[in-house]
Amino acid sequence: MNPLRVAAVFRRIVAQFRRDPRSLALLYIAPLAIIALLGWVLSSAGATTTRVAVVGDTSNPSAYSAVVVGELESGLDGQPGIELHRDVQDMATARQMLIDRKLDVIISLAPVQNLMSLQIDITTLGMNPTGEAAAIPAIQQALEKALGDRSGGTLPQIQRLTVYGSPNATQLDTFAPVVVGFFAYFFVFILTGISFLRERIGGTLERLLATPVSRAEIVLGYSLGFGFFATIQVAVVLAFVLGRLQIPELGPIPTFAIGLGVRTLGSPLIAYLLVLVLGLGAVSLGIFLSTFARTELQVLQFIPIVIVPQALLSGFFWPIDQLPSLLQPVARILPVTYAIDGLRQVMIAGADLSSSQVQLDLGVLVAIAAVFVALASATIRREVA
Amino acid sequence: MAVAPTPPGPAATPPGPAATPPGPAATPPGPAATPPATTPPATPPAATPPSAPTAAPQPAVEAIALRKDFGPVHAVDGIDMSLPPGRIYGLLGPNGSGKTTLIRLLTGLASATSGKARVLGVTMPSRTNLAHIGYMTQADGIYPELSVWENLTFFAALYGHTDKADLVRSLEFVELDTRTGTPAQDLSGGMRRRLSMACALAHHPAVLFLDEPTVGVDPALRVQFWDHFHRLAADGATLVVSSHVMDEADRCDELLFIRDGRVLAQGTPAELRKRAGTDNLEAAFLTFAGEGATTSPTTSPKEAAR
Repeated sequence: MNPLRVAAVFRRIVAQFRRDPRSLALLYIAPLAIIALLGWVLSSAGATTTRVAVVGDTSNPSAYSAVVVGELESGLDGQPGIELHRDVQDMATARQMLIDRKLDVIISLAPVQNLMSLQIDITTLGMNPTGEAAAIPAIQQALEKALGDRSGGTLPQIQRLTVYGSPNATQLDTFAPVVVGFFAYFFVFILTGISFLRERIGGTLERLLATPVSRAEIVLGYSLGFGFFATIQVAVVLAFVLGRLQIPELGPIPTFAIGLGVRTLGSPLIAYLLVLVLGLGAVSLGIFLSTFARTELQVLQFIPIVIVPQALLSGFFWPIDQLPSLLQPVARILPVTYAIDGLRQVMIAGADLSSSQVQLDLGVLVAIAAVFVALASATIRREVA
Repeated sequence: MAVAPTPPGPAATPPGPAATPPGPAATPPGPAATPPATTPPATPPAATPPSAPTAAPQPAVEAIALRKDFGPVHAVDGIDMSLPPGRIYGLLGPNGSGKTTLIRLLTGLASATSGKARVLGVTMPSRTNLAHIGYMTQADGIYPELSVWENLTFFAALYGHTDKADLVRSLEFVELDTRTGTPAQDLSGGMRRRLSMACALAHHPAVLFLDEPTVGVDPALRVQFWDHFHRLAADGATLVVSSHVMDEADRCDELLFIRDGRVLAQGTPAELRKRAGTDNLEAAFLTFAGEGATTSPTTSPKEAAR
């Protein structure tokens, strides 16, 4: 291992990227744009008010239905984002109001004899199912709260609802760490894969291998080069996610904020360490898989094979223990799984390096990166011609 | 780390090493050695003996029953050769005759199915020995985004060669010294070829493999290239140049006619002409190829397989 040769490879990667502004933009601007968009979407999703009416048979005040209606109304009333229309009593009026766009959701109860057979219908207009569905979770939460006491339902759900005061922030808080880790992985993988493929098809790899440089030196130089850019990327993305800069009103442009201001409890440095180890694995994986591609297009074909399953299985959207039991072992061999878990531990739970969970995540990431480095080194010399 | 590990070969044979790289003309860090690239080697004493076939010096390049199979195809089909240093050897043969594979075996980039390849007395592949070998690939093998200077310094650094003044001379040598900041992708094809050559020469290799160096190069530049090659050989370097252009053959000191992974004939252009009984090297090649075909009936089906 000769540090001068490693440094030469490192400097070359940096120089190449400096000359390629579009790839740099992909590295820095794309994640920011996507995270900003995500933050925007998540924050405005809860911003609209949903107009709700509860309809049921209240003629007999001691009947279950009347009791439940009362519980629901008192539960929903005053909830943020929900505007309760107590004056609406019968279904026909409610439906007409829905059609006239004076109401968004009807909660209706069929007359029942006991609580077990209680059936609740949630009716929306149906013109824009996706948009209307956005209001339904809030109502379901309120329903759960209202009925929880009645049915002896679980207390934690009620507990969750009290936290629900700021639904948008909570969602973003859990998403932000995931996004940081995932982007680092995705972009580093794609950029290394394509860079290395170009070495192969451009004949420069042939020439590299005709110099005294060793395979390990090439992999290390690449790792340093891409690690350098990944470092800047993670710093920029973390700053954007954690920071918040309010921009004052400027003429026709209303006041807006740059950055998401996500609350984090843990150290950004540990979060960075996790992402860096993940990124180093991605460099070697990119080199390794580029062996099996002949064109840039074929590198992109690895996205559905390598990237998308990780997005689905790594806990990005669904917790691992909620996955089908057959898929759980798969999730546990994916590096992104450990990065996301570690990032959540650090950024949401405020864990530091003394946490055994973070230690495990880091350890597994290091091991996976080592395996990829070995694979990459082993395949570099594959016959080029 | 620059030129430290001298290959064991030349050290063992006392008269030879004058012709190989550690000689004064090849390594120019001293100020006195400023013009080795630009002035023809009229004065250096090292330049005189190389072509004299005295007590057979250590061969610079050797192949012993070298063979490389790709599945059923014998790309290199048992080649034996021994090339003394300080000369220009031309590997001549049609496309697909195994020239590039032979060079890749000799540089250790491909592993032989059987047999041995030795450069400067060291069995290839040997990563440390690559420090004394230059290889100009058939593709340009330069980074299009990087400038001329960045390409050159990158490859030179991998050989541990960082002498800036000397690298500037390498660029002067290929007349790219006014283009140092230009990205390689903005160069003309001929300039890229010259940059590729500068990258292969920057570390003053003792043995230089040039795979079709003059393809796509205009005639004036081709003449310049060959002048460079002769200067390098006069300074003691060994050059192995592959080509499928017969009119370049006369510029080589010695020729190896290659077809179907075999050496059909080896000798100086004059010798080969004489043996074939023709003035035309192309006709000579066909003569030897014809002999090969009659003695080994396997050649033509193999040619068809390509």
